[in-house]
Amino acid sequence: MTTPVIEKPRYAIKSPSNLSSRIQWLRDYYFQGVARSWNNEFTSWTSGTTWDFQYNELSFYIVPETYSFLQTFRSAFKQVARPVVLDPEFWKWTLPERRAWFNREVLVKYLPKEILPGDLLAGARFNIQTSACLTEKETKERDRQVYGSMGARAAMLWFHNHGFGNAGATSGHIIPDYGRIIRDGWKSVHAELEQAYAALSPIDRRGKKGGQMRAMLTAATLARDLAAEYSKECARLAQAEPEPLRKSELLQMADNLTRVPWEPARNFWEAVQSLWLTHMLVMADENYPGPGVSFGRLDQYLLPVWDKSIQDGMDPEFGKELLKCFWLHCNTAYDGMIRTGGNQGITAGYGQLFNLSGLGPEGRDMTNALTYILLDVIDEMSPILEPKPNVRLHRASPEKLLDRVVEMIASSQGSPFLLNFDERAMAGMMLEARRSGVTNFINENNVFDYASVGCLENTMVGNDRSGTVDANLNLLKAVELTLTGGYDLLPFTDGITGKTDKPQRWGEPTGDPAQFATWEQFWQAYAAQTRHIIRRIVELYERSESIRAKYAPTPYVSCLVRGCAQKALDINEGGSELGYVTIEAVTYATTVDSLLAVKYLVYDEKVCTLAELVQALKDNWEGHAVLQARAQHKAPKYGRDDDNADLLACQVMELWTDETWKYKTRSTGRQFRPGMLSWNYWVADSFILPASPDGRPRGKFLSNALCPSNGADINGPTANVNSVGKVLGGKAVDGKGDWAGYLNVLPNGGSHTMTFNPSILRDPEHREKFKAFLKGYIENGGSALQVNLIDAGLLRDAQQHPENYRHLLVRVTGYNAYFTSIGRELQNEIIARESHNMR
Amino acid sequence: MINSSPQGFLLHLQRLSTEDGPGLRTTVFFKGCPLHCAWCHNPESLSTRLQTQWFSVRCIACHTCVQTCPNGCLTMTASGLQIDRERCEACGKCVQVCPSGALEALGTTMKVDQALAELLKDQVYYEKSGGGVTLSGGEPTFQPDFAEALLCSLREQGISTALDTCGLCSIHTLDRLLPYTDLVLFDLKLLDPLLHQQFTGVSNATILENLKHIRDSLHNQGHPASLWIRTPLIPGATLSDENLSAIGRYLADNLHGTVSRWELCSFNNLCRDQYIRLGLEWSYAKTPLLSREELAHCEQIAKASGFSPQHILATGATRLDL
Repeated sequence: MTTPVIEKPRYAIKSPSNLSSRIQWLRDYYFQGVARSWNNEFTSWTSGTTWDFQYNELSFYIVPETYSFLQTFRSAFKQVARPVVLDPEFWKWTLPERRAWFNREVLVKYLPKEILPGDLLAGARFNIQTSACLTEKETKERDRQVYGSMGARAAMLWFHNHGFGNAGATSGHIIPDYGRIIRDGWKSVHAELEQAYAALSPIDRRGKKGGQMRAMLTAATLARDLAAEYSKECARLAQAEPEPLRKSELLQMADNLTRVPWEPARNFWEAVQSLWLTHMLVMADENYPGPGVSFGRLDQYLLPVWDKSIQDGMDPEFGKELLKCFWLHCNTAYDGMIRTGGNQGITAGYGQLFNLSGLGPEGRDMTNALTYILLDVIDEMSPILEPKPNVRLHRASPEKLLDRVVEMIASSQGSPFLLNFDERAMAGMMLEARRSGVTNFINENNVFDYASVGCLENTMVGNDRSGTVDANLNLLKAVELTLTGGYDLLPFTDGITGKTDKPQRWGEPTGDPAQFATWEQFWQAYAAQTRHIIRRIVELYERSESIRAKYAPTPYVSCLVRGCAQKALDINEGGSELGYVTIEAVTYATTVDSLLAVKYLVYDEKVCTLAELVQALKDNWEGHAVLQARAQHKAPKYGRDDDNADLLACQVMELWTDETWKYKTRSTGRQFRPGMLSWNYWVADSFILPASPDGRPRGKFLSNALCPSNGADINGPTANVNSVGKVLGGKAVDGKGDWAGYLNVLPNGGSHTMTFNPSILRDPEHREKFKAFLKGYIENGGSALQVNLIDAGLLRDAQQHPENYRHLLVRVTGYNAYFTSIGRELQNEIIARESHNMR
Repeated sequence: MINSSPQGFLLHLQRLSTEDGPGLRTTVFFKGCPLHCAWCHNPESLSTRLQTQWFSVRCIACHTCVQTCPNGCLTMTASGLQIDRERCEACGKCVQVCPSGALEALGTTMKVDQALAELLKDQVYYEKSGGGVTLSGGEPTFQPDFAEALLCSLREQGISTALDTCGLCSIHTLDRLLPYTDLVLFDLKLLDPLLHQQFTGVSNATILENLKHIRDSLHNQGHPASLWIRTPLIPGATLSDENLSAIGRYLADNLHGTVSRWELCSFNNLCRDQYIRLGLEWSYAKTPLLSREELAHCEQIAKASGFSPQHILATGATRLDL
């Protein structure tokens, strides 16, 4: 028998600080996970019909890891669903009315109301799976569209298996108009709906519009009625509470809940309570546990009540205490599948995002006292996954803010927040306004009020069904189709049936590229295939979008997004003032580097023929080591600030983004827009896409979002940054640009992750240098940056001794993950990733 | 007179450099040095000739280089590629054909406008940080025509300049370069002339003369605008109480009010593999990094030397104390 040797952790991991015993207890309790007696695990509820179901798989078409379980989830939630006694009129109502009533019934009457010890906020059980509320006929029709041989699921699987990417009408990923609820209360929403309903013609009232409006009227009372139940529970607990201080807190909570969220919030406590209840019900309404349901500019719309409460004598520390309770509530979103997997249901960051600081009207900086309070809360609570901060920087950001940002980066294992860069981001938003003809909704008088969804997906606030992650396209597939004249390079073999596809042309008939005499011909063929894959993803997306529009209304969310009440149209039917679907391009650098390699190897240096290159790719480079090495090491690459290489990168960018603007969804009229966020597809899809001309064999990871390929940026961080800024459009030659001279062809944001060695922040002098680097980034870089500060030695130690690093967070593509919870492959990848050591 | 298009023989341009002067900088590494310090951290910069180096981890053992070398000076052995450096004429053909980048040429010829184009790419970072461009090496004063032309062009672009020098050059060269130099980073390694001779191959008499000349230029002509002194802390060589005290006293006596920073640079071993790649022995290969205490002690000695303590900075990596 050996005695286990527990080594002391060799490196200091960021740990929380300045937590009261209340928050410490709540935080520790949260991290007990499955051992908790209370949790927010999904509960499932049925209309009691034999055909009923709950799980809406469309929301998970963008998560390939769940494909094998789609049927299991549907059956499991159906099996465990508890019946709800229906209103006798239930089946006479329109679908939105049924959904609104059913959800309210479950949340208000069926689910228990619980307050954790010491908690200052109410609102807990929001992870629910509720009846689709469809009639038998509707169910059959929907299921045919989803499960038919040409249905949404089959189309999605085909698309994924053949390496194109994925797409699906996904919930979440939206910024509701929370500011309005805090300011005016739900009663103002309700009053507006009543007015709009009254203004409907009698015919409309009897028809679809009337049903939608009645559904929204029901949904608009949900928060009020639930708050009343929580208020009763607080009062009951107060009565039984022997400890006077806690008793008074519970009484105050009971009192708060009789007012908010129905009434305007009068103070900070009421505001945070109002915000939390309103927010958690968005997740409940969509039956979707949180990803991307974002808060917008928290330090702006909470500021008036913060100031008022401070004037009225609130201790700022108590304000922070309220926020810390709010933080913990946000994390309970992960409880949805708490018994799944090894890490309490936590896989990656959900991204209930909020923005801090940033520009305001007339170029003013909007940093305020609450900005710094929120930064303190982040610092004191870290490491923790939710909510996720994104700090907006710009040319006029105050030194104090920059100092705090750099200091926090220095003391964490990388940045505890994302950084967004206003000038570049706003240039993109202005382009979006122009390209989609909505300058009435996005213009120079309001563009500064943009905010970010999920990670860094920039949108307007409270009026956009933003769909920022719904369509994920592997640009590299167009290179493959070009090399084959429209075929898969290797036939697809089904892993389960073992059946191999017959070769079939999917893409454009661009012909045998071996016959191309010039690079220009190759490029034209690539352009045709790019246009083809974009049309394909638009068509794929339409399948789930049209099904959602018809069968999955979300009347509660519709109340919180401007446009729906005015049009009497559900948000999922295109009711919002703005409606976008982002095509997130994946594999950008791999694609650019592949094209650069084709040009270099075949046309410029004539190292090989195109046929030889294609054969090498079919052989996965095996037996072609010299050619592969040339492709990897001798061909030019994006990310080196090499103007020639970056010029081709710009052409690739212009081609696909320009094409994207040509499409709208047919069923809902939503405009497609370009963005670059690769989530984890650049890892997973690397096993689907065959070898590529840049020298990458199958299984070696693709490039991540806007980042250069791993290891390609040999000229250091500034060259990397300059390349990224250039491909977004750089700055206008005439100095005008779309905002302050800037251009940005990716309005929905481009994810850029850079990893630095901690030595760059080792002392005050170097922290100043890093601050200057960020200022340089504002000028030359992209719209968003995730800074990683990881020492490879630390990560290897974490691999050896995961028990010492359970809370070590790593940030990839703007989402956070616990290092010890991710697979060995990705761990190795993160370790291998070049660590920029400033010398 | 500035030569119209002098060429420089350089190693590389290091962007986002944070250790060669204030702010964020690009450092231009010149190739060729008149000193041969036993501990040299940039052994690839010593020779004025083109050199070839081989990275075993990048090599795919395709033997293309062996077959290409016109002089037959490459052999692939069990322990890796052997380069017969006696016979190698540095023609660069092997580097050119190597598909995996395992063979690299050390040394590249650049015109001023070529170098300038690269250096301008990071101009915004220089401006935001109060940084600029540092000429280092090797020894920039060893190529005075190119150094002068480059400094002059940088000045025209409004970019702040620094000259990192070992101090061994003619007064005439200094007079050509200083008018375009904002900051001089001057290496002062050993004050004892015999020890200096022993460890660097040359006496320090000219170096100390030049230091005084820079002092006078700074006071009388206003350039450079500032002067930093750098002393590497090399165990068994420069790292002694006597040497640090002597340098400090010398600076206090001769350069009072002239030196805005004296940097004590901790010994580092990052160049260990570089010596192996060049086929060179390095007598410090097994020398460990300084401990935190040793570095603190050096700082203490320097601060007690008579030189103004607030201008002393000890930098560099120390041993991880586990």
